[in-house]
Amino acid sequence: MSDLNTRIKEVIIESLELEDITPADIVDSAPIFGKNAAGEGLGLDSIDALELGIAIKENFGVTFSTVKEETKKHFASVNALAEYISANTKG
Amino acid sequence: MKPMAGKIFFTAISVLYPVIVYCGYRYWGLSPRRLSLMLLALAFYHFLNFTRSKSQVERGRTGIFVVLILVCALVAFLADNILFVKFYPVLVNLSLLSFFGFTLWRPPSFVFRMASLHDKSLETSPSFKSVERYCRNVTVGWCVFFVVNGSIAALTVFVGSDKIWSLYNGLISYILIGLFFIVEYLVRKMVQSTMQSYVPVCDLELDSRPNGALVSFDSSTDVADAVGNAANASSNDAGNKTWGDFVSDVSKVRYYLETRENTPWILHCEDSYYFTVALLAMLQSGRKALVTANRQEAFIKEIKKPEYGFLTDEPFAGDADATMIQDVLDGRCAGMNCAAAEDAGECANDKCAPLKFGKFDKSKAEMVMYTSGTTGEPKAVYKLFLQFENELFELVKVFGNDWVNRQVYSTVNHHHIYGLLFTALLPIATGLPFRRHRVDFPTELANMADEAAVIASSPAFLKRLSAETDKAFCFKCPPIIYSSGGPLPEDVARKACELTGYWPMEIYGSTETGGIAYRQSKNGAVWTPFEVCKMSLAENGCLNIKSSYILEAEGFTTGDLVDLYDDGRFLLKGRSDSIVKIEEKRISLPEVENRLKQTGLVQDVRVVPMVGKRQYLAAAIVLNESGREKFAGAPKLAINNFFHDYLLKFIENTVSPKKWRYLEELPQNTEGKIRMRDIQALFGLAESPNFKILKFRREPGVLTAKLLFPATSDYFDGHFPDFKLLPAVVQVDMVLRLARNFLDVPKNLSKMNRTRFANPILPDVPVMVKISYDADACKVTFAYTSVDGETSYSNGSMVMQTNVAVVGAGENRE
Repeated sequence: MSDLNTRIKEVIIESLELEDITPADIVDSAPIFGKNAAGEGLGLDSIDALELGIAIKENFGVTFSTVKEETKKHFASVNALAEYISANTKG
Repeated sequence: MKPMAGKIFFTAISVLYPVIVYCGYRYWGLSPRRLSLMLLALAFYHFLNFTRSKSQVERGRTGIFVVLILVCALVAFLADNILFVKFYPVLVNLSLLSFFGFTLWRPPSFVFRMASLHDKSLETSPSFKSVERYCRNVTVGWCVFFVVNGSIAALTVFVGSDKIWSLYNGLISYILIGLFFIVEYLVRKMVQSTMQSYVPVCDLELDSRPNGALVSFDSSTDVADAVGNAANASSNDAGNKTWGDFVSDVSKVRYYLETRENTPWILHCEDSYYFTVALLAMLQSGRKALVTANRQEAFIKEIKKPEYGFLTDEPFAGDADATMIQDVLDGRCAGMNCAAAEDAGECANDKCAPLKFGKFDKSKAEMVMYTSGTTGEPKAVYKLFLQFENELFELVKVFGNDWVNRQVYSTVNHHHIYGLLFTALLPIATGLPFRRHRVDFPTELANMADEAAVIASSPAFLKRLSAETDKAFCFKCPPIIYSSGGPLPEDVARKACELTGYWPMEIYGSTETGGIAYRQSKNGAVWTPFEVCKMSLAENGCLNIKSSYILEAEGFTTGDLVDLYDDGRFLLKGRSDSIVKIEEKRISLPEVENRLKQTGLVQDVRVVPMVGKRQYLAAAIVLNESGREKFAGAPKLAINNFFHDYLLKFIENTVSPKKWRYLEELPQNTEGKIRMRDIQALFGLAESPNFKILKFRREPGVLTAKLLFPATSDYFDGHFPDFKLLPAVVQVDMVLRLARNFLDVPKNLSKMNRTRFANPILPDVPVMVKISYDADACKVTFAYTSVDGETSYSNGSMVMQTNVAVVGAGENRE
C-alpha cells in the first residue's frame, strides 16, 4: 500500500516536473489540488489535473470516468488515488 | 375611395380579359372593333399609372407598354381584327419581364424589395446576403417564367383557336403562376431551414421561442433524448431546461433583483444556464452586471462596494453577502437581507404573478468584464450590451449558417468575452441548446459522436486533445470547433482535424475589442477581419481596430504587433507589452510582481512566462531583510508555499508561479537592464537541493555565477567522509550544465584540456564561477574562484563537439 503511495507521489512529481518537493514532502491524506483548512496540500491547478490524469493512466493503466464529481473524488488525495488504483487494477 | 375602386375594376378586367374577349366574341356577338374598346380602356388605365410613376425608368417602361397596347387597340379597331385584341396577355408578360428583368440589372431585385417590405428587419438581418441572393434567383425564375409564358401566349394568338387562347391565358397561365408560387414557397422553406434563425438578445420576448424548446442540457444526458423530452422536461430531473423554464427563471431572478436596492451586481456562476439566466435578468431589469471569472475571496472583496450585490451559484467562503441563484429560483432566500425577497420569491412562484421577461434597451444595459491590466490592478472593461449585440450580429452573419440544428458545447469560461459570446449569448440568440457544464476532458468528445456540435474551445484544450488522443472520433457529423484565447499551433490544428474532421476556426480578439478576425490555419497564418472591423496601424506598429462594437471613436489599439495588408487582412507578429497568456488565461506580469511585493518580504522580483509541458509562470525573487529574517533556515518548499498561498488570494492558481528561485540579486545586462530571457534561462536549469545559484550575469559568450553547494548536497558524499569537498568531476559537470543552459554550447564534450584544481571547494561556502564560450573554437573556459576573487579554486578548458548534426535533435530531446 505505502509502496503504491510512494510511486504515485513519484509520478506526480515527475509528470508535473515539480521542483523543490520530494515524495516525503507529500502528505498522503492531503489534497492534491488546492489546500485544506490546515494549509496542507499540493496546490496543483486544473491544468496539472489534466496532465496528471494522463500520467496516472499511463503509469497505472487505470482510466477515469468523465463524470467530473467522481473523478474529483479519486484525485482528492494520494490515499484516495491509491485506493482507486488498487481497486481498479486486476485484483 | 375612387382610385381604389378604379384599380380593382381595371385589375379585374385585366385578369378576366381573355374570358371576356372569348365570351364577347363567341357568345355575345361583339365585334373585335367593340372589344378593342376594352383594350383602349386598359391602355388608358395604364396611362394613368404612367403619369403617376416617379422614376424615369418606370415612366419609360410603362410608356412603352401603353404605346404597345394602344397600337394593338388601334389596329384591332381600324382593321376590326380579333388577332390584335388577343395580343394583350403577351404584352402583359412582356411588361412584367421588362420590369423584373430591370431589377436584376439594377438591384435590389424585385422579389427582395417585396420581401423587405413584408419583413422590415430583413435589411438589418445577419442573413441579409443569403436572402438577397435567394431573392435574386427567384427574380430570375420569374423572368424565365414570363419568357416561356409570353411565348406560349403568343403561340396561342397565332396558332390556337380562340378557345385555346382563352383557356390558356384565362386559366392555365394563372394556374401556372399559382404553381410557381407554391414551388417557390416550398423551396424557400427548404432554404430557410439551412439558414440560422436569430433574435437579438435584447429583443427576446416570452414568445420568441416555443415553450418546449430546449435551451440548455446537462452533461450526463443524451441530447437526442433531451430534445425528445423537452416538452415535458420541466421536471428538471435531467437538468435540462426549456424555453419555458428559462423565461420563468429569468423572471424569478428579475423579481428578486428588482426588490433590491443593490446595484450593480457581481456575477459569477459556474453553471452556464444559471449564468445566462442571471445575466439576462440583470440586463432586463437594468442592473449593471460585473462579470468576473475570478471569485477569489480577496478579489471579490476588492471590487465589491457595500451597495453591490453578488449573485453566484456556488457557496462563497468570504463574508461578502452572496446570493445563491438556486435559492432565488427555488423561492427560498437564504442569505443576508432577504425580507423583501421572500415575498418576491413566493410571488414569482405564484401562478398569478405575470412573468417578467422582455425586451431591454441595449444601448443602456451596462456590463463590466474583468481582465488583468498592466497597472497591476485587475482591469475592468466597461461594456454596453450594444457592443455584444453588434458582435453577435456579425458572428451570426459570418458563421451562422454553419450552426443550424447544432448543440453548443464549451471548453472555455463563459465569464470571459469569448466564452460569454459563443457559449451563452449566441445560443440564446440563435435558439441552439447549450450544455450547462464545461467539457473538461478531451475524452468527453467521444460522448458527442452522435451529436451535431459546435464546440467553443481553446488552444489549451486542443493541445491536450491532440496529445492525449490517437484514434479519430467517429462523429456522425464533424463538430464545428472554434478556438480562441491564444494562437493555435498549426500542428495542433491539423491533429485536431484528423481526430474530429474539422480544422478549428480560430478567433482573434480581446475583451476590449471583441472578435477582430478569424482564420483556419490550413489556409495560411493570415487573419481575415470581420467585415465591420476597420484595421489600421497605430504609431507603435500595433494593430488599431474600429468597429461597431468598439465604443471609442478613435478605435482601440491592441498590444499586438502586426503586418497589415491593404485589404485589411493581417499577420500577427507578437505582443508588445507585458501581458502574457498562461493556458489562455491572461495575466499581467507586473500584477503578479506587485502582489508579491505586497507581502513586504520582497525586495525585487521578476515573473516570467515559461513553456514546458505546459505554460506556466516562474518567479525569481530577491528577499528583503524581513524576508530573509522570516525565512531563515526554512526549507525552500516552505517559502514557495508561503508566496503561492498568498497569491491565491488574488489570482487564479493557473497563473500563480509554479517555479521559484531566490537570488541575492536579479541578473542585469551591461546596460543595467533585467532581461526576461535571462530570467527564463535561470529556470531552464532545474534547481536541486544539491546546489543553488545565488546570482548570475549573462553577457554574450560569458556567464558569471555565484553558486552555493550546501553541506547536505549529495555531491559531497563519498569522497572524504570527514573532510567534505566538492569533487573535480562535479565542478566540471557543473560548468557543462551551466554552459549548456546559459550559453547554448553544444551538448557533447569532445575533449578536456589542461585543468587545474588548486584549492578545495567547501560546503556552504559561496563560490564564483566564470564560464566563457568561444563559439568559433567551440571552446569552453572556466574558472572557480572565491567570491572576493582572491582565491582560485580551479580552472581549465574543454572543447565541445561541433557536429551537432550527428548528435541529432533526437538526443537533445531526452
